[in-house]
Amino acid sequence: MAKDTTEPLLVVRDLKAGFETDAGLLVAVDDVDFSIERGKTLGIVGESGCGKSVSALSLIRLLPQPMGKVLGGEILFDGKDLRNIDDEGMHGVRGGEIGMIFQEPMTALNPVHTIGRQLMEAVLIHQKVSKQEALRQSVEMLDRVKIPAAEIRVGEYPHQLSGGMRQRVMIAMALINKPKLLIADEPTTALDVTVQAQILALIDELQAEMEMAVILITHDLAVIAENTDEVAVMYAGRIVERAAVGELFKNPLHPYTQGLLDSIPRMDSKRKQHLKTIEGMVPALAEMPTGCRFAPRCSNPHGDEVLEERPKMVEAEPGHWVEGCACFWGRELKNKSLNYG
Amino acid sequence: MEPILEIRDLKMHFPVKGGVFLRPVGSAKAVDGVSLKVYPGETLGLVGESGCGKSTLAKATCRLLDPTAGQVIFDGHDITKMGRRELMPLRREMQMIFQDPAESLNPRHSVGQIVSEPFVIQKIGTRAERDKKVAELLERVGLNEKMSTRFPFEFSGGQRQRIGIARALALNPKLILCDEPVSALDVSVQSQVLNLMMDLQRDMGLAYLFIAHDLAVVRHVSDRVAIMYLGKIMELADADAIYHHPHHAYTKALIAAIPVADPDSKRDRSLLEGDVPSPIDPPKGCAFGYRMKHPKWEQSVGMDLSLVEVEPGHWVQPCPCCTG
Repeated sequence: MAKDTTEPLLVVRDLKAGFETDAGLLVAVDDVDFSIERGKTLGIVGESGCGKSVSALSLIRLLPQPMGKVLGGEILFDGKDLRNIDDEGMHGVRGGEIGMIFQEPMTALNPVHTIGRQLMEAVLIHQKVSKQEALRQSVEMLDRVKIPAAEIRVGEYPHQLSGGMRQRVMIAMALINKPKLLIADEPTTALDVTVQAQILALIDELQAEMEMAVILITHDLAVIAENTDEVAVMYAGRIVERAAVGELFKNPLHPYTQGLLDSIPRMDSKRKQHLKTIEGMVPALAEMPTGCRFAPRCSNPHGDEVLEERPKMVEAEPGHWVEGCACFWGRELKNKSLNYG
Repeated sequence: MEPILEIRDLKMHFPVKGGVFLRPVGSAKAVDGVSLKVYPGETLGLVGESGCGKSTLAKATCRLLDPTAGQVIFDGHDITKMGRRELMPLRREMQMIFQDPAESLNPRHSVGQIVSEPFVIQKIGTRAERDKKVAELLERVGLNEKMSTRFPFEFSGGQRQRIGIARALALNPKLILCDEPVSALDVSVQSQVLNLMMDLQRDMGLAYLFIAHDLAVVRHVSDRVAIMYLGKIMELADADAIYHHPHHAYTKALIAAIPVADPDSKRDRSLLEGDVPSPIDPPKGCAFGYRMKHPKWEQSVGMDLSLVEVEPGHWVQPCPCCTG
């Protein structure tokens, strides 16, 4: 086990995943690269259907079955090749070294078991301990996610808890085996802003305590801005831009990232003025252009050739990668003689 | 100017039944004494956490629910006690747009049927006239008249919301109650729909009661904003004033909780503890002071907590705990 701690915790290369349907193979994630350092937070942002959840679920073999398939690529996690371990090995990783939380805790929790039983199950699968010890760990974990009266709450059922409390239970369950990586898929989308702020602060606090890395998947750019170190912007199954969070918000390069940032109302914007929009909508999976997928909605001048050839990621600034499209904007980029990855 | 809509001390209580015989054991005070005015051509934003009663308020306002107490005065008529037949002509002028266009559009009806239904119900026009009107409406909301033969599932979320808007516009309303109209939409589509709503307001002189939980969206489209908490209005002011000079502790807490799309922002991230309390048997006095366990909360019990005007047009609940 080569565990060089200076190596990134997770490296994903050329990940391709999709769904076998009656209408043929639909590729939802098309050759995506990303990596994440130990203890850091990677944000994956994009609109519905862009492939952000499919990317994350592919890592831990949780794509909806039997349709979902990982079609190619490499997933290296902490010295292990996750694509080539058997299902048994994946059981050990999932819920052990990699924890997950999802958007709707009510569907992720089992309604007929107490939360204590569900937490203990997570412990007993991954650790060789007695039931008493599992219970002790469960209560301690509920306490750490700030659930009041944890000793009593372990005996309650999910429906007896509020939405925010259920999400705390989900976090407790994901973290009870001290994972090295937490995948949080829209963890606060179903919650009110005040509860969202509590949950994000809690994840942040536990992340620092447990030195774990987090992949935060969300459609909310403000949540990304405040809670991540690095950001990958996904559009139509591809990462179109990747940079440190400060750099991305200060210097967004891809027209899609720029469009997204411009279209959200800001607290200091002039009221009742037209918001900027991105015209049109995301093409259907079956009708994706092979070239730049954003081209049909892009307002930059471009010819039809951009639809043909897939743009390569270029490093526009140190650590700031963006799809170098063949459009006017892309040619400007290339003139700066950049590093091609 | 006369308000197009005036809500006076509106209450909407639901009995809570319990025990073996399902006897009433309490009541959920979803809306508990709300007074608001909406003027022609303006947007009044209504913000609050889930369960604060904002959707119930909208439903009671257009008589989808029968209010427990209080009055709703629409365009000079008290509609609170009106019967179905009397209400019918006024219903043309007050329409609603809902959050989830997938659920508020009948999946078995074509877009043409959906948009022309208001004419059918109100018995307006011939078939040909209705078809012409539907084509105009679809054009107006940025869709194509050819789409009228298609069904809701063939459309994206943003387009479905446009269909919902076309239906609401069909009878030339003066007021539209919008319940979370863009919260189910992606950001790039959300801005398209918000722009459309602002254009329609300008061109047709519509008034909106705009209910949402996204404070940045509400601020952007609203002239005035009301903050609701546990069935009551805590603060009401001009949209800029309420964000830049909030008086009530709840307004401040809500604003502090909104994430800002700027990694360098140095905003105050103090957290509001606890969840929204249940409207079943709410605490006496100031409900927010109670949640905060404020030392002065007890003083608010038994006080008259009707809003007071602290600055011209800026109304706040005068409790010693939250606005002291």
